[in-house]
Amino acid sequence: MKKITLQYFAVLREQAGCSEEHLATAATTPAELYEEVRVRHGFTLPLSMLRVAVNEEFRDWSSPLEANDRVVFIPPVAGG
Amino acid sequence: MQPFAFSTLPIDTARGREALADPACGGYATFEGWVRDHNEGRAVRRLEYEAYAALAEREGERIVAEAIARYGVQHAACVHRIGDLDLGEMAVWVGVSSRHRAEAFAACRYIIDEVKHRVPIWKKEHYVDGDSGWVNCERCAQPGDHESHAGHAATPAAGQPHDHEHGRAHVHPAPDFARQVALPEVGDAGQQRLRAGSALVIGAGGLGVPVLQYLAAAGVGRIGIVDGDLVEASNLHRQPLYGVADIGKSKATVAAARLRQLNPEATFAVHAERADARNLIDWLARYDLVVDCSDNFSTKFSVNDAAVILGKPAVFASVYQYEGQLQVYLPRADWPCLRCLWPEAPRDGLVGNCAQAGVLGPVPAALGAMQAMQALKILLGLPVESAPALHVFDLLGMHWRTLRAARNPACDHSPRELQTDAIDPAALEIAYPDLAAARASGLTLVDIREPWERATDNPAGQIEWHLPLSALLRGAAALPPEGRYLLVCAHGVRSLALAGQLRSQGYPAVYSLVGGLAAVGS
Repeated sequence: MKKITLQYFAVLREQAGCSEEHLATAATTPAELYEEVRVRHGFTLPLSMLRVAVNEEFRDWSSPLEANDRVVFIPPVAGG
Repeated sequence: MQPFAFSTLPIDTARGREALADPACGGYATFEGWVRDHNEGRAVRRLEYEAYAALAEREGERIVAEAIARYGVQHAACVHRIGDLDLGEMAVWVGVSSRHRAEAFAACRYIIDEVKHRVPIWKKEHYVDGDSGWVNCERCAQPGDHESHAGHAATPAAGQPHDHEHGRAHVHPAPDFARQVALPEVGDAGQQRLRAGSALVIGAGGLGVPVLQYLAAAGVGRIGIVDGDLVEASNLHRQPLYGVADIGKSKATVAAARLRQLNPEATFAVHAERADARNLIDWLARYDLVVDCSDNFSTKFSVNDAAVILGKPAVFASVYQYEGQLQVYLPRADWPCLRCLWPEAPRDGLVGNCAQAGVLGPVPAALGAMQAMQALKILLGLPVESAPALHVFDLLGMHWRTLRAARNPACDHSPRELQTDAIDPAALEIAYPDLAAARASGLTLVDIREPWERATDNPAGQIEWHLPLSALLRGAAALPPEGRYLLVCAHGVRSLALAGQLRSQGYPAVYSLVGGLAAVGS
């Protein structure tokens, strides 16, 4: 298990009920991590509609996750 | 004698007087500023002046030139000390010679007030108690003093002819860009670039209003305003360019009228219609850049495609409640476009919730101001940012994340067929008085709301299937393609979006209930 910091924006923040959480996870990729929190928080958006940034850089969903990574899930927003 | 100069030595007033002497002049007015022994209740021992010389001299010269033009005086000059000064020493000198005394006094007053307001000079006060502190000279001037002078000179009373008798030049009211020209990154050359520059602004709403105001106010020479909407009462809290008297009028038209008051010299083109893939190409071809202030994905991606095809920079922003996203596209081989980041353009209505999204005015205002800043940097030829990024702002928690974005190798950036909405929403929506009537028409009713929504509001008996949108989107559930379906959700937003998506995937008979369950009074 590794400790990571997760940050949520927009509809994910609403559905998670928080903008940030620290958690210990066995997930090895952002995709696995999203599936884990999607089930727990009841996120409605599929992974294909989101982007993920790790340590302030956009990454592939299959890139490796390391301990102490800062992960941000970003939904597209369109309000103007 | 230079119109404006700094001196490290005591000011030679006799030399100044000599330089301004002219047999055609009947009056000579001077002002001397001295180092006094107190300021704001504190005893002052001595002063130290420091200036950003290159910039300050240019601004000072401009002020003297303005005074000569405004008041029609013959000669004027100003000298300011820098370095250490003792009590009683002269810190600044202004001299004006003219035909008559009135304009000499006025020009002299104008010069000293403007110098104190506009010239970057800092004053360090050394107090008798041993303490010291820097004071920006702008704070020393009496606010409003010079404003009334300038206003008086610039706007003679209606019907009053040129006041030749008093030597006052008639000046048309016009924006004065001095405070931005004073920036080394702008300068006269930058102001010329802005004046020669142009921007197309898509959307005149929460983001577009500050973008339009700041681009017009900065002196951008030509601005295109695209918005097909009318001003609504619910717009005003975040679009304060408009007033209650504008409700029901075209936003683009009202905006252009207001912006002309900000800069009468600029040109404003009104496009009071919705931007789409076709008209965007025609319009954007005539501008230097585009600022996307739209409120829907299909417009944003059309703006992106037009910018990529035409090789024009684009400044994107979007807001959601207290959050905003900001991204700049530059037509460079190493720069990502919107599709690099979002390979699948999101379908409007599928992201977010069905409830009316709320927003506080300062959120789009902040993002719009940043868009205007990015656009001005592009027009000025300044570096926009060190590397491409999506900036994500949370104005409730006050966090700003800069997420570095790279070009997506899978996105070729090459001109592509512009996406158009293949299916008219009108062909997707059906209205029914109640669910029983819908069911009687032979359609299978599919409730796509999430389980927690159904818990509080469950129209028993009529709904045949419950397939949450979230499950459908991630492929955990699917509708058999051969059926005839009526999708229902709370307000008909998500069901319409999903119906459009399923139709484009080959479902022949998928419809959306207009207004959702709220409309059938379940």
